[in-house]
Amino acid sequence: MATIAEDIIKKVESFPAMSSAAAKVLSLLDDPDFNPVQVENALRQDPSLTANILRLSNSAYFGLSSKVGSIKQALVLLGWKRLSQLVLTSCVTALMNREVPGYDLPPGDLWRHSVAVSVAAEGLVVELKLRAGDEIFTAALLHDLGKLVLGAFVKEQLVEIEKAAAGGLAFEEAEMLILGTDHAEIGARILERWSLPKSIVRAVRWHSDPDKSTDTDVMVDTVHVANVLCSMMGIGIGREGLRHKPSTSATKRLGVSVPVLERVASRALQWANELAQLS
Amino acid sequence: MRYLVEVGDLKLGRDGDELVTYALGSCLGLVVHDPVAKVGGLLHAMLPLSSINPEKAKSNPFMFVDTGVPELFLRLYEMGGQKGRMLVKAAGCANPMGKDQMFKIGERNYVVLKKLLWKNGVLLKAEDIGGSLSRTLHFNVASGQIVISSNGEKRAL
Repeated sequence: MATIAEDIIKKVESFPAMSSAAAKVLSLLDDPDFNPVQVENALRQDPSLTANILRLSNSAYFGLSSKVGSIKQALVLLGWKRLSQLVLTSCVTALMNREVPGYDLPPGDLWRHSVAVSVAAEGLVVELKLRAGDEIFTAALLHDLGKLVLGAFVKEQLVEIEKAAAGGLAFEEAEMLILGTDHAEIGARILERWSLPKSIVRAVRWHSDPDKSTDTDVMVDTVHVANVLCSMMGIGIGREGLRHKPSTSATKRLGVSVPVLERVASRALQWANELAQLS
Repeated sequence: MRYLVEVGDLKLGRDGDELVTYALGSCLGLVVHDPVAKVGGLLHAMLPLSSINPEKAKSNPFMFVDTGVPELFLRLYEMGGQKGRMLVKAAGCANPMGKDQMFKIGERNYVVLKKLLWKNGVLLKAEDIGGSLSRTLHFNVASGQIVISSNGEKRAL
């Protein structure tokens, strides 16, 4: 008989691949000598993706003073790094906008939480003048992707998981104890299959427990803190609630203080709501 | 009518209205109710002190406990509520696990609320605060009944 962990891995293998247009665009943008015309052509195959990217480009969060009407313009005004983040954001929206059973997240909640963590992570980078890679937006956006696979298993084993959590475990620790894996590990596996950069995979893998990452990494620590903060704000918390264990070492490494944390929270809410609505 | 109170938001209601707020984490959910005038309000405040972002407090006083709570009382006075009759109940203010004080925004929200109420000679009639679980709050303005649901469990406040 297959173990639960083996069943979960099978589900990871059948998890949807990234849309071909998105994958093409991301690989084009990854090449330092990319040709903007090729990017436009690749996106032309997916008009809804293009529309989504343009809508997002015009969000006040990205701070453009003029309206963006074409991909070429977005590329010039936002730069290729932001544009590739928006391509990825647009192509995972539909996937992450769903209801997530097990975690008790109604439709839209996982997405709002993910966008909020991206905004809060970037807020921490600015406030603390951190040297984190540009991929932090994407890493934060995808940190809970594993819940899409694990949710069904959490639902099945909920009584056992809750029993374990009642003994003082964080929810993700209870997942690990009962299911033999947790949503961070599953998310990282999916992203490896999507061939995303290692830094993003690492941040997703260790977002619940940054001290376990073999290398200390600003991006891992920042996504960790941003995630706890957004849960505290009640954005997409569901059944887990605040059953997380924030790492004191991570906050020390980053130099986070109470005023920084609260200031970032006060700014993140509005941006997160706006971006989640646009996408 | 049923009104949804978002994070950093305040809604007021009269007889026949229901005020609802979802997913209270560290945030404070504060209900103030005048059972005689049959008016009530529900505040969902996120952070303790407005001094952290005065500009934001100006555009949205409901985001902070120290600006949101006075505003809730003032608006209820305008609707005919009287201080001596007001019933005040608090929910939320949960915290993540562990001892890291930095993340105890829930605790700080609660402390600021208690100070504010004490200074103004108002008592908390009931509370359902702390812990690490998310709460949803339903407040029926006519009856004053408040129901908290948390991970499938329902209880009256």
